[in-house]
Amino acid sequence: MRIKAYNLIVLFFILFMALFVTKAQADPTTSREYQVKAAFLYNFIMFVDWPVEKMADINDPIIVGIIGNDPFGDAFEPVKDKKVKDKNVVLRRFKGLEELKKSAEKDSAQLNAQIKALKECHVLFICSSEKIHLKEIISLVENNGVLTVADTDGFIEAGGIINFVMEDKKVQFEINIVASEKARLKISSKLLRLAKRVIRVETNEKNQKHSKVDGIWNKTALRSEYVCHQRHDNKT
Amino acid sequence: MIARKSILIYKFTFVLLLWFLLGVETCLLAEQQDPNGKEDLFEMSIEELMEVPVVVSASRQAQKVGELSVPVSVITAEDIHYSGLTSIPEILQFTPGVDVLKLSRFRYAVGVRGLHEFISDRTLVLINGRSAESPLFGGAEYYTLPILMEDIERIEVVRGPVGAAWGANAFTGVINIITKKPEDILGYFGSTTMTEFGDSYTHIRVADKKDKWKWRVSAGYEDLKNSDDAGAGCYASNTTAAVNALMGFSRFTANDFMRNWRFDTEAFYDYSDQTKISFGTGYSHAELGDWEWGGYYPGGTGRYGTVRSYTKLEHEFDNGSTGYLQWFGNFGSSMVPTLMKWNWMQNDIEGQLNFKAANAHNITIGGNLRFIQLDTNTKIENPQELTYSGSPFNEQFAGAFLIDRWLLSDRLTFEGQIRTDYYSETQTDWATRLTALYAMDKQKDHILRLSFAKAFRTPFVSPRKALTGRVPLPSPPYPPGLFAFNVVLADELENEETYSLDAGYTGKFTKNLILRADAYYQRFDKLIGYTKTYLGSIPYHKADNIDGADSWGSELELILEGKPGKISAWYTYNAFQEDISQQGIRAYLPAEHKAGLTGRLFLSDGWTFNANYKYMDTTRKLDLDTTILEVGSSHRLDLGLAKKFAKGKGEFMIGVSDLLNKTNDPHFGLGQLSAHETPGRMFFARLQLKF
Repeated sequence: MRIKAYNLIVLFFILFMALFVTKAQADPTTSREYQVKAAFLYNFIMFVDWPVEKMADINDPIIVGIIGNDPFGDAFEPVKDKKVKDKNVVLRRFKGLEELKKSAEKDSAQLNAQIKALKECHVLFICSSEKIHLKEIISLVENNGVLTVADTDGFIEAGGIINFVMEDKKVQFEINIVASEKARLKISSKLLRLAKRVIRVETNEKNQKHSKVDGIWNKTALRSEYVCHQRHDNKT
Repeated sequence: MIARKSILIYKFTFVLLLWFLLGVETCLLAEQQDPNGKEDLFEMSIEELMEVPVVVSASRQAQKVGELSVPVSVITAEDIHYSGLTSIPEILQFTPGVDVLKLSRFRYAVGVRGLHEFISDRTLVLINGRSAESPLFGGAEYYTLPILMEDIERIEVVRGPVGAAWGANAFTGVINIITKKPEDILGYFGSTTMTEFGDSYTHIRVADKKDKWKWRVSAGYEDLKNSDDAGAGCYASNTTAAVNALMGFSRFTANDFMRNWRFDTEAFYDYSDQTKISFGTGYSHAELGDWEWGGYYPGGTGRYGTVRSYTKLEHEFDNGSTGYLQWFGNFGSSMVPTLMKWNWMQNDIEGQLNFKAANAHNITIGGNLRFIQLDTNTKIENPQELTYSGSPFNEQFAGAFLIDRWLLSDRLTFEGQIRTDYYSETQTDWATRLTALYAMDKQKDHILRLSFAKAFRTPFVSPRKALTGRVPLPSPPYPPGLFAFNVVLADELENEETYSLDAGYTGKFTKNLILRADAYYQRFDKLIGYTKTYLGSIPYHKADNIDGADSWGSELELILEGKPGKISAWYTYNAFQEDISQQGIRAYLPAEHKAGLTGRLFLSDGWTFNANYKYMDTTRKLDLDTTILEVGSSHRLDLGLAKKFAKGKGEFMIGVSDLLNKTNDPHFGLGQLSAHETPGRMFFARLQLKF
């Protein structure tokens, strides 16, 4: 009986030790939202298969590009020490398209070099500062195996692949499969399952024009146009 | 001797706990020394980043593990895969608080915090939230379930009574088996496992999707040889060597083989963005050895057929509320020659609605109706030895539940669950669970829980209606006219009742280090057991509400998981004290001390090493009258090494289960007089292909 008592004492000692050992959280310099989004970008790499030529050299790193006014700050710092798909991850920051064009007026070779660098990216995050240039940027890289990501309304419709959306203060994402297929990227079913919305049918100007003409048809067109699959968290 | 053994156990426990502490502190210190002091989001899985709920068994809604009203441990698909094990009870034994005893090659006694027997009717077993219990015995017969191991997404093990969510049988806990969704396993899959004894376990599967359809079809075949053929099967009496000799146990041979064909299919149809329909059917056909009675097998080779079907309609309303309507049917036919043949049908209709009220209340309401038809008097050629009074049985259950999760503030949550159930043949009863959860930090990484629960267990047909259980012992070697098990009809049985008070803590110290600690006290009343009565000079057993018991204990679980692999360690202390000595409760008591350690390491070039260890203290059984039976303490160690090839499309695995024991000792259960040992150490190889 005494042995049992000892055991109980030890157990409760452990329990209370655990209760009082808590850790203070450090204040981040970047907003939590973009820290989380940075981690998402890193995670996306694991769930996407690039064309063979894009991953051919095992010594080449995975390049994550950020174009526009970078909101991530130092959120990617921890990535320096990590590998994904047995490759290092490196970050490249690009000026906004407007600024690039301006600099090209002085040196067109520089613009070409920047565009080449954009095409070399595996993941390209297009910042919201580039909202008016979404289509232009996407068209620059769309056949080059670049996973385009943004957190801007209209990004998916502009031909982007993954768009972040906020829901109930949580980061969610939607995926445009047609755009990923154009980019010759294979997105894993797991990622598709977790997506808030998956667009499986091509969005095009013609349909959008029709939908603007007829209000009733508009809803129908949108429903058939975006064959969506939505994730439901709160179901048993 | 006993004192010395106890001291050894104590020392072992203490060392293990110190190890836990050291591990926790080391990891904590490592994190505190991180100059950035940041939470490493890059080590989180995408589900964690999305804060996707992962557990559904505590409150019938998906929730994060740390925010549950009751302790839950999760066995993941990865745990199952890298264990190489081919049965659900085998993997359950490496889970905190679960007592598992292997009774034969395929029969197991499984109970959460004990109270387990060959039919463990106090722990509820579900498949995707749908009952998997036998309407005759009340518990689950795992070997009859049409589930293949590689189709399991996770197994949620709930410790403690959750009758308020799930009804009568969630008395000591719930084991909920969740299967994989087709979209996660698209393509073709084949797997076969062979053991050194010639056992085999084969599984083929195809999963696909097209337009709005997703589906999975699985089929499998399992072949387990007799214990004799697998290098064990020696018999022993729980009395003396002289009795062993007198009974001539050496003449017996084990008849505990099993051959099982399983088929399981599910389909999902996205009718619209908001409405989904799913349905499925599983079928299991088993040919197997009989129950052992007093050292021999009177029934010969039995046949068990089970069909499980369901249809579910899920809908998300425009206001964000969700709900479902579901039908499921479980149908079975079992035949053990000379002993019994029984057919049964269960039809269940269930509905559930989840909605928000007054912003802070997440409400779940629902109910179910169940119709059971059971015929135990189906004619067979040879005389029956087990009969039930009043067969065929037509019984109806009805249940209604209400769950309110009230987010009182950012840190404080109350959850109330209440449920009432009507049983046509027993009594209407109710269950509740009231819980307060307090987050110690803004991120809700450290959560305290205090909970009170009441639950009940209603007796199913077997204890309530068994009239005759005259299982004749063979003569010779036994003297003529002896029976292994004599039963007289029970007087009216009342529901078993339980009340529990438990407190817990879940802490997430870093991105991949989780500690859970729980302590509980549970009171049992009106436990149904057997009393002894005499008709002439022949002893008979009679089911009755005998008396109560107290149980208490604590469970610790530490999980460290990251890209390199996983380490989890746990210790449980589950004590049980019956009110009166030598009180039969139809079950084994929990082993007081249990501990486990799992290590998994993902090595380079596709190699993975996995180890599972478990220590289990002596298991007692309070049996029918005066005998206290014990199953000795044991150490179990499983090792496995897997290598992926062909760009991950193939995997080869070699392993050994129960490395430390060539055989497992007999468990003195049903027949009381004897039992046979079962094979322990077993080398196996597995090949898997997917494309």
